[in-house]
Amino acid sequence: MQFKGTSNYSGKAMENAIARTGGYSNAFTSPDWTAYFQTLPSSALETALRFEADRMVNSLYDAVEVETERTVILSEREGNENDPQFLLSEKVQQAAFKQHPYRNEVLGSTEDLLRLTRDDLYQHYRNYYQPSNALLCLAGSFDEDAALKLIEKYFSPIAQTETIRSTPTPENEIAQAEKVELLGPDEVNYIQIAWRSPKASDPDFFAYTLIESILSGPSTLNMFGSGGIGNRTSRLYRELVENQFAASVYGSLSASIDPGIYTLYITCRDDHSPDEVIARFNQVIDSFLNQELSLEEQETALKQARANFAYSIDNITNQAFWVGYAQSFAGYDWFTNYVESLRQVTREDITRVARHYLDPARRITGVYRNRDGVSNG
Amino acid sequence: MANMSFSPTALPGSDTIFRKRFPNGSTFLAYPNSTSPAVFFRGYLPVGSLSDPAGKNGLANFNAGMLSTGTKQHEFRQLHRLLESCGASISISAGALATVFSGQCLKEDLPLILALLMQMLSEPTFPQAHFERLQQQLMTVFRIQSQDTTEMASQAFDRLYYRDHPYAHPELGYPQTVSTICREDLLEFHANYFGPEGLVIAFAGGMESEKTAALFEQIFSNWNAPSQQKQVDLPVWHPHKQAMREHVVIPEKSQSDLIIGTSAPVGMSQEYQLCALGNNILGQFGMMGRIGESVRERSGLAYYSASTLGAGLGPTTWKVVAGVNPNNLDKAIRKIKEELSRFITEPVTREELEDVKQQALGQLPISLESNSGIARLLLSLERFQLSMDYLRELPAVLEAVTAEDILTCARNYWHLDSLVIASAGSTP
Repeated sequence: MQFKGTSNYSGKAMENAIARTGGYSNAFTSPDWTAYFQTLPSSALETALRFEADRMVNSLYDAVEVETERTVILSEREGNENDPQFLLSEKVQQAAFKQHPYRNEVLGSTEDLLRLTRDDLYQHYRNYYQPSNALLCLAGSFDEDAALKLIEKYFSPIAQTETIRSTPTPENEIAQAEKVELLGPDEVNYIQIAWRSPKASDPDFFAYTLIESILSGPSTLNMFGSGGIGNRTSRLYRELVENQFAASVYGSLSASIDPGIYTLYITCRDDHSPDEVIARFNQVIDSFLNQELSLEEQETALKQARANFAYSIDNITNQAFWVGYAQSFAGYDWFTNYVESLRQVTREDITRVARHYLDPARRITGVYRNRDGVSNG
Repeated sequence: MANMSFSPTALPGSDTIFRKRFPNGSTFLAYPNSTSPAVFFRGYLPVGSLSDPAGKNGLANFNAGMLSTGTKQHEFRQLHRLLESCGASISISAGALATVFSGQCLKEDLPLILALLMQMLSEPTFPQAHFERLQQQLMTVFRIQSQDTTEMASQAFDRLYYRDHPYAHPELGYPQTVSTICREDLLEFHANYFGPEGLVIAFAGGMESEKTAALFEQIFSNWNAPSQQKQVDLPVWHPHKQAMREHVVIPEKSQSDLIIGTSAPVGMSQEYQLCALGNNILGQFGMMGRIGESVRERSGLAYYSASTLGAGLGPTTWKVVAGVNPNNLDKAIRKIKEELSRFITEPVTREELEDVKQQALGQLPISLESNSGIARLLLSLERFQLSMDYLRELPAVLEAVTAEDILTCARNYWHLDSLVIASAGSTP
């Protein structure tokens, strides 16, 4: 609804003004925050700031537009529901968090999307869209003093109002192992396994980052731009894919304000049942927890982190994204010191953190199976 | 001339792009950026799925997948340990006309990574165990695709649109063709088509142009393949004259994917530039142009609905795509047809034309936002045989375009009585 117009500009006028500069703008929502971004020539910086300040207070939330947008978002959800991995991840998330809002899919459930009223949306908007609850990041080619003056010009007139917020109680642990299962028409079986991960500001998060790198390959730091590193030397790829138990495996560890989850995504081959794949997976984890980590694996993970960091700053939009993202959960120096923080991690740290978090008795195992048993499983 | 916030001379051009062609037929391009700690490269060899033998659809793609499974000097694990231990990556895949590769590494690792790329392209060993593994993985991919509405709609569209032309076949092939491919097919395909003739590689980032050219020469100049054959000629293709419609039923899907399309001009030609501006108005500008305004913003029928203009050397397509609820499929088709009808009957407005011209100019500096984007750009200049000053010349080309030019292009390509319409999803 933030793209549907304000009392000063129609949504189309704002979209077109940005597009006319050659730039692009969009927004995305994480469990912890909502981000609006604009990438445009530096000469158009004022246009971007004017629009962002305006829609921080003047968005209309027109009732007719709400109804049109409702069907658009329902359509987005329907598109996601086409993918069995989405449906499974929603179930795994709900199992991994019993009361924390991280259990909810960001897009919302169909029921909620149908129930939300214009006033619900507007109340959310007025409460959270405040300068005191916002963070503005700029990256690229601009004069700092001139940019600060523009920011002051457009944002300082906005009245200060405190945001009323509920602070969710963090869920530091998954209390017990749980298995969730989903049956459906798709012919391929999928497995998702989730463990608790520490909050990103926890020093153990850096050890966890190296664990991820060693087990399933390093996650890219590129929200924008391209480029990642393969995972063919990761332990899980070698054991599951090279040994022909699975067609693919990859992991996902996200930096979050409260403890989150580290999830492994496995696509099964049709000649091994999910149970067989999970049994093999368990052997890999058991071996990881009980054998000494080699220096080579640690050094590889560190070099990969350094390379990932270099790739992440290749794209200017990504630079702004990471500075803001890191500020949301720790401080922007979390990102600028990223490589050094990883360098401080010892092999003992990795072993300690792995044994604490990767406990088979405290994980969620999700399985999607073809309901007619087309695949072996 | 529309307002420009930058000087065209600041864009990459013949005086700042380093280009060198080597006696063995390979071409090297580079555009350095001394502030970057990393190097990004992209390239291609002129052989793709067009050269798949009859009944072996998917061979070029299979071959591309096997290039990273082992070389004469390094078996699979060694090869990937070398790559991943320095945080580098090399990806190889096959399109219809080319086998394309891309990679990235820290600049200090470039000599090693280039040597590995050379080995992967010229000395793959196609290990039997990895052949069998990849074949199985491809079978899994086919099973996933068979339930994917976007992929199935795309394949249906290509089947209808290209009919007996090789482009009618997916580059991945089919389960029944990939299952008949044997290791000897791959060895033969590689021996026939892989060599330095026509190889193009473009670098951007923290390397120095001349030093990297010397490194490239040192590593690649010894690659000679006297038996290298030229890719088979692209068959002539004539646009169809009648409307066609196919819906692929995939039960229990919440959303259907829809493609409505027609033919498009050769990529980057002068006519292509006209169509590109028109396409922006039709289904890109702002929130997906006129199509987005009608189908998404006013009707709330789709999360995405936009138009896309293909850019290829062979026959290519101009499409409108949308993801809609199965019950809204016909309504979305009607809305899109209304916009297409308007597009071919009325000239675009002066404001619309000015908008997209300004956008195209503004995109020029933004396209240089990343080194990986620059490498992609250099490769396009070479692939489409454009002047190295193409970007600098573009503002004047854009300035000259009129609303009548766009209307003429729209009428040349969009014929409402011969649209190809493909969709996939649950039964409406």
